[in-house]
Amino acid sequence: MVTIKVRAFARFRELFGDSFEIQVSTPATMHSVIQAVGKRNERGLPELMDGEGKIIRSVIILVNRERITGERREEHSVAGGDEVAIYPPVAGG
Amino acid sequence: MNGENRMLSERERQRYMRQLSLIGDEGQERLRSASVCVAGAGGLGSPVSLYLAAAGIGHIRLIDPDRVERSNLNRQVLHAEPDISRFKVESAADKLRALNPDIQIEPIPVAIHDENSLRMTSGMDLLVDALDSYQARYLLNRVAYIQNIPLVHAAVSGFHGQLTTVIPGETACLQCTMPYPPEGKSPPVLGATAGVVGILQALEVIKLLLHVGDVARNVLLVWDGKCGRLDQIPIERDPGCPVCGSSD
Repeated sequence: MVTIKVRAFARFRELFGDSFEIQVSTPATMHSVIQAVGKRNERGLPELMDGEGKIIRSVIILVNRERITGERREEHSVAGGDEVAIYPPVAGG
Repeated sequence: MNGENRMLSERERQRYMRQLSLIGDEGQERLRSASVCVAGAGGLGSPVSLYLAAAGIGHIRLIDPDRVERSNLNRQVLHAEPDISRFKVESAADKLRALNPDIQIEPIPVAIHDENSLRMTSGMDLLVDALDSYQARYLLNRVAYIQNIPLVHAAVSGFHGQLTTVIPGETACLQCTMPYPPEGKSPPVLGATAGVVGILQALEVIKLLLHVGDVARNVLLVWDGKCGRLDQIPIERDPGCPVCGSSD
């Protein structure tokens, strides 16, 4: 197991907490990290992952302040001590 | 800039007295010479255009195809009960002209689309994204890039909002920042949230025009109204961005 720091912004702060640590089995991937975050609040899980268990594409994710994008971000490796930041962009005007 | 460069009138001196010591005659004249297009006359467009008009932006072009509905009135503070069924831009123009008769308000009651987007934004010094759909936002972002006009983006939902300023060719564009639009339509929005974020947009516009302070370049400002916090999320240009990726 490794410990990952998570920072959640705006709606995700409300759903999952502001700044917290999660334990994830190695090798940790973005998918396993996001899944572990979702487990903190079942009600919030649909805002992180779709019905097929994939990370919702619009969610902004950074690891150590660096943006993680692209079709393969689910498989992105996350190491112990990394800080993962998550934010759901909004749409209203 | 619309080229009006006469001295400030006595009336303008009185109107702007409390900000002239901050920005000077030159700054005030700069605001008066500016043309700003506000796309959307709703929750964000109301506070943005109110504060731009009050600050003395000389020419405000307001674009929105919609008419006022009662359900708009919790947040779209330029409109009132008697305005229901009127075009939002006409309702907005009346209030803004009453607030500041020394500036030009140009209401355009149409939607921005592929065919008219260049015409709608040509001659503008700045574009303000106060829209409510990502399809229209992406179009405004593209046209801002093509015409090399800075764009101040914002969006809101519930107690939360976000803002970034796009300088074409220099910063991440909206497509780099949010390559995939959030799902869902018509999120709940508290009027005060749109107010806070819209006023932040107005402040960005004023700072850009005056070249003062720092604007939200390569950063997404995230307003969390429940905690009263403004966070910064770093963003960067995507070299593979279909809009701005091939420049440089």
